[in-house]
Amino acid sequence: MNPSDDPLASHFDEVTALLYLEGQLDEEHSRDVAAHVASCAPCSQLLRALQSETVWLQESLMAEDEPIPARLVAAPERGTAHWGWIAAFGLCAGGLYTVWNGIVAPAIANMSQAGFSQGNVLNMLFFYGAFWKGWDAMRSLTELLALMTLGGLGIWLLRKQWRRFTPIVFVMGALACALLLPPAAAAADIERGDPSYTLPAGQEVKNDLIVAADRTRIDGDVDGDLIVFSSSLTVNGHVKGDILAFGQEVRVNGPVDGNVRAWGQSVVLDSAIAKNVMAWTGELELNEKSTVGGSLTMFSGTSELSGKVAGDLLAFAGNLEINGLLGRDATIRGDRLIIGPNAQIQGQTKYTGRRQPDVSPGAKLGSPIQITMLKTGPDYTRVRYYWHRVLLWGASFLFGLLLFLLAPGFFVDAGHAVRRIGPALGFGALFLFATPIVAIIACVTIVGLGVGITGLLLWLIAIYTAQVFVGSWVGEKLLGEGVGAGAVIGRLALGLAVIRVVTMVPYVAFWINVVVTCWGMGALVLALHRKMRPQLPAAA
Amino acid sequence: MDRQKTTGAMNEADLAQLLSHVQAGYADAWGELYRQYAPAIFRFCRRLLPAREDAEDATTEVFMKVRQKLGTYDSSRPFTAWLYKVASNHCWDTLRRRRIRQDLETGDVDALPLEHPDPGQLQRLQNEHTSKEVRTGLAKLPDRARMALVLRYYADMSYDEIADTLGVRRAFVGVLLLRARHQLRDALSETGASMAAKSGGRKP
Repeated sequence: MNPSDDPLASHFDEVTALLYLEGQLDEEHSRDVAAHVASCAPCSQLLRALQSETVWLQESLMAEDEPIPARLVAAPERGTAHWGWIAAFGLCAGGLYTVWNGIVAPAIANMSQAGFSQGNVLNMLFFYGAFWKGWDAMRSLTELLALMTLGGLGIWLLRKQWRRFTPIVFVMGALACALLLPPAAAAADIERGDPSYTLPAGQEVKNDLIVAADRTRIDGDVDGDLIVFSSSLTVNGHVKGDILAFGQEVRVNGPVDGNVRAWGQSVVLDSAIAKNVMAWTGELELNEKSTVGGSLTMFSGTSELSGKVAGDLLAFAGNLEINGLLGRDATIRGDRLIIGPNAQIQGQTKYTGRRQPDVSPGAKLGSPIQITMLKTGPDYTRVRYYWHRVLLWGASFLFGLLLFLLAPGFFVDAGHAVRRIGPALGFGALFLFATPIVAIIACVTIVGLGVGITGLLLWLIAIYTAQVFVGSWVGEKLLGEGVGAGAVIGRLALGLAVIRVVTMVPYVAFWINVVVTCWGMGALVLALHRKMRPQLPAAA
Repeated sequence: MDRQKTTGAMNEADLAQLLSHVQAGYADAWGELYRQYAPAIFRFCRRLLPAREDAEDATTEVFMKVRQKLGTYDSSRPFTAWLYKVASNHCWDTLRRRRIRQDLETGDVDALPLEHPDPGQLQRLQNEHTSKEVRTGLAKLPDRARMALVLRYYADMSYDEIADTLGVRRAFVGVLLLRARHQLRDALSETGASMAAKSGGRKP
């Protein structure tokens, strides 16, 4: 009631009228209203209007407008999400079993027979075992995994949309086009070795050449790109495009007008390469006669650079010996660096490693080497280590904050998804391991390098983002479910701090990181799925 | 208002027997319970969630929750009240997931127009709009306003139940309902374009 000197002010306000009608006023207040209404025509009219509106609302809401949809006719017997994570775990388990049975176990057996120690298992596994004579099996496996992933993803995304024929046709059509059209449309000669393949000298391939064989030898010329999957590749002819090689041994003796990108146990370059070289390899050798017109980027166990590199050098290497000419800057991170007497580095040299570099007095350096020495493992006694952890926390918190401010709805969706621990871990593990495989296959066979690299970058971003959602969850467990932006930010800050602290614990830190990454990535995937689901406008 | 209007008639004894059979694990009983209540819950979810797909999903998920939680149901309370509570919590949770920035609870009556609505215009509004148009207008309302109206006038929930579901103080529920009515009137006036939203009623 609004008593005042003004007679009009003695009328009841609309809230009081509604509360009176709905029986929400206490007895005394209700009596006052009833007494007033008895003598006040306008208030009585107001009550009647509100009452009429109440009835109108009830009738409008209760009117049956549409029958129950066909999919809801039968009672649900089972949860809708369980099969999803069971399938995800199943796919992961199947993939891991196949990898173990088909590659790891035979590789270990081969290593033992050959008398290899367990010294460099990763190197043996990826650069020797996997690319040995079993490359075909490896390729089939990765393709199978990729197809299973794509198929599973498609089914998962469409699981609630079976009634919608158009999107299914669209998605399946697009998928089929993606898988089928590029190989047909690409101007490439595809050769399969039986078991080896040789392009004879004097013969010229006018298109790109794609070869899958045990041993590949290119003595003739290739007008386009040369893409090879082979345990051994030797190029003696002239390649006018790029070389993209996956193999145990890669040797390039002939001139290349484009780039060379190689993955293998051993890569030897003994020719003029007009553009850049990128190599992931156990051993890399750049012989004296060889020249690289652009930059050299390498991830290598043991390397010897005796040739000329006109551009920059970026090296991640176990042992690196430089005995040639480097036209520009060299950035090297590794275990050991030797700069020989014939070395000439015209730019600046930066080296980060655990041992002092060995620089010959005869070497010509454009400027003194900048050396950063690394220590093994974290040094818990230094303040700098803890400062570094604080900075890492700050970076992740800022990232999470940005994500929250830019996409609050998505942030909350992911926050809810992370509570579904089983599905999140399952899908996270699936995407964590399957995405790079799919991306690499996309690089080679399906859509192209751009899509593959973009996929990998997004995957890396997703890995970093994962901690944000898990951090939020941890914060929520500690602080409770407060409502509002302040509470969300507080939970995020605390949760990320907890993650930073627990990942400082030696030995378990790695596994905690794996779990956090899988879990958070799964939440991200589930939230993305939520976002991608079509939202129909309201039908009355 | 009567919750049975929305759920169909089923006498208490039959319902109690049905529930006991469901709890004992009889598949037929579960099917019967679902057939009896699924249409009402679907329509309830349909009024709360703007997208039809979401309402369908929500109906399935609500019944899965019902099956899991049936052991916690207190048989001294009406079953339909409990069922609507489960459904409304689920739908509110769904809506909240979509939107972090809920308008904060403010008990300010000042936000409401000071004028009383013109009863004549209110009546015209009711005469000119069909049930279908009301539900279309409802879908345009903010989530909490829509929830409040549906919980009160479709599910026949008490103010306490509404306050509990929406996480607001009980004293705020009346303001929330009235504000939602104003928003619905405005939405209908805009679509109908035949009546001014705010009339020149008398001043309090």
